[in-house]
Amino acid sequence: MASVLIVDDAAFMRTSLKLMLEKNGFTVVGEADNGATAVQKYLELNPNIVTMDITMPVLDGIEATKKIKEVDPKAKVIIVSAMGQESYVRDAVVAGAKNFIVKPFKEEHVLKVLNSL
Amino acid sequence: MLEMYKFETNQLLEQLEQLIINSEKSNCYSQEAINEIFRIMHTIKGSSAMMLFNGISTLAHSIEDLFFYLRESKPENVDYIKLSDLVLSCTDFIKEELSKIERGIEPDGNPDESVNIIKAYLSELKGDGGSNAIHENIGEKNQKDADKKQKYFITHSLSDNSEKTPYKAVIYFEEGCEMENIRAFSVMHSLKNFVQDIKSEPEDIIENEESTQFIRENGFKMQFYSDRAYEEIENLLNETLFLKKLELEVVDKTDEANTNKKKPVIDLESDRPNMAEAIRPEKEKEKEQSNKSLLQNFISVNVNKLDKLMDLVGELVISEAMVTSNPDLKGLNLENFNKAASQLKKITGELQDIVMSIRMVPLSATFHKMNRVVRDMCKKLDKDVELEILGEATEVDKNIIENISDTLMHLIRNALDHGIETREERIKKGKSHKGKITLEARNEGGEVIIIVKDDGRGLNREKILQKALDHGLIQDTGREISDREIFSMIFLPGFSTKENVTEFSGRGVGMDVVSNNIEKIGGVVNVDSIVGEGTTMTIRIPLTLAIIDGMNIRVSNSTYTIPITSIKESFRVKEDELITDPDGNEMIMVRGDCYPIVRIHKLFNIKDSVSNINEGITIMVESEMNTVCLFADELLGEQQVVVKALPQYIKKVNGIAGCTLLGEGTISLILDIAALVKIK
Repeated sequence: MASVLIVDDAAFMRTSLKLMLEKNGFTVVGEADNGATAVQKYLELNPNIVTMDITMPVLDGIEATKKIKEVDPKAKVIIVSAMGQESYVRDAVVAGAKNFIVKPFKEEHVLKVLNSL
Repeated sequence: MLEMYKFETNQLLEQLEQLIINSEKSNCYSQEAINEIFRIMHTIKGSSAMMLFNGISTLAHSIEDLFFYLRESKPENVDYIKLSDLVLSCTDFIKEELSKIERGIEPDGNPDESVNIIKAYLSELKGDGGSNAIHENIGEKNQKDADKKQKYFITHSLSDNSEKTPYKAVIYFEEGCEMENIRAFSVMHSLKNFVQDIKSEPEDIIENEESTQFIRENGFKMQFYSDRAYEEIENLLNETLFLKKLELEVVDKTDEANTNKKKPVIDLESDRPNMAEAIRPEKEKEKEQSNKSLLQNFISVNVNKLDKLMDLVGELVISEAMVTSNPDLKGLNLENFNKAASQLKKITGELQDIVMSIRMVPLSATFHKMNRVVRDMCKKLDKDVELEILGEATEVDKNIIENISDTLMHLIRNALDHGIETREERIKKGKSHKGKITLEARNEGGEVIIIVKDDGRGLNREKILQKALDHGLIQDTGREISDREIFSMIFLPGFSTKENVTEFSGRGVGMDVVSNNIEKIGGVVNVDSIVGEGTTMTIRIPLTLAIIDGMNIRVSNSTYTIPITSIKESFRVKEDELITDPDGNEMIMVRGDCYPIVRIHKLFNIKDSVSNINEGITIMVESEMNTVCLFADELLGEQQVVVKALPQYIKKVNGIAGCTLLGEGTISLILDIAALVKIK
């Protein structure tokens, strides 16, 4: 089953997503709480999918997505974003994010997006 | 999950308060602070929405919007004091809701009022006179952004479309999939390599808030040219997630021209400046922050697990004593066993130290919370007071932290309200107009000392004494009462020297709560005061509550434990040194001071014990400056003991603090020295 790297600065969000994914057979191989760590962990763990928050300290999700796409153009990055961040999501899509999930996320939506990859 | 949510949100709120108070002190909000506040609110909003706490989420969202504006437009006309008040009032609301959640009540507070205030403030900022500069700013930025963005857009080649087929597509998304406009954008983005001259309706899909609604109702309409086959385009579009319905058709060329005239469809090219208005994060600033980030090697652990670990280590300490001082081993020559036993003892000791240190938390967070208290009160009371914090790195047990916060808040409120004089009064007295409250913590022996000191008017000895007599709190015995005794009367239930009750402190219910709370964690509080110069409250708390060094004593068949820290000395009394007063109370004169003797066998009605004073042992113990001598049969030795509360089925016995299990498996009662000195 697909391996996932969860990137979010809120531990709460990481855990909710992790529980949701693990329940549905995904393997969460790592977590990162900022964009810089995310890039590092991506290289280390080489996960199939990355779920990426946008607003984060150090390096935001858009920049992190760009960096990850730079090192691996085939990387599958899913943006996890809140309502009201439309323009950021757009930037992330341009930066190469495959798709996005809107917080507060519903399980069916998350699964639909992740399974489409 | 809920636990985690509460923990994280509380932490964020504390961080936020700190940021705001620091910013207010330096009289400006730095770009980093604004970024940070934005991020905190964003996270709270997200988590709260996940937990379905909509009130909190809505409020957080409105603050997020406000700081988003501040971050992007950098308006110069911001009233920072008003801003701080606004955000702090919102954190209060969120805290209130969290405490409801804590108590298991539905968080039903209505944030609308606050949200409206914030919205009004935001539009005030936006619409204000100084906004010209802002607009210029934005304009300039837009230009730059537009240049940057250009490459994102599909190049518009009007020239050679004759070879290509014009298509018309309408996409309907599933209901409830959210952010339809971005989904639409993604579709266009994924098409860009295959099609040309793409036009869409609605036009400004990202910026226009109504575009989402439009797409929901009417679908997302596109027109484009492509040299790809119909099936290929269809397949591409069908890959769209959350696609409900796709209508794709080849347009008749003449038809298309007509529609173009009829419908004001605006192409993406001209849309560019609009797009650019979407404001981009400031990468430079964020990079600036990156230097500051520290690699944190922390994990959060459920406190219950730590408590359990603590209990287990306690049991381990007991078991170790049970094995190494097992009665079966008496009289045996066990060289190897003793070696192994001392190794075991060393390791359990280390383990115990580590477990203790895990539970130790620095007081800094609690201390810094007081900044907020001082700030709010200064404003309300129109006083100018500085809070000095010393020794915030001092660590205490987590249980203590939880219990000390309210107490400190109370003491500080009291000092500010009753202690520190008004500005005029201070100037008249020749003091600086700015009052000062010092909050200090330090380690001293096995105790942590927390001091709350103000430079206000001090306590009035006579007034307190009179009041205590009036209220019948003490009897006038005519004897000399020390200052300390008088000052400690303010902790008696039902005592208040202030006639006027203010919003913050004093209905006289407070101070006895303070002393109760401190006693609950095994501490004591002392008051020192000099009229006109200020008051000092000193709180002494034992470093840890669970494992103490104890002296075991025997009275007949029973064993008791006295905390080593309270023992001053032990000695044997000769019969002729004993002084008996007319009431039959026994006393002893040591180095010129007279101390009462408490015979433990009398106190607890124990039979068959040594009653001859020169056959037993007398132990002098001290608590809160009071000293008594305890009389017991003999000293058994020193040992670390694990304090256990008395089981609930035993009613509270005065003079007993708890019990512990000894190595031989017998139970020893731990004497409550603070209570014993009061019995006399």
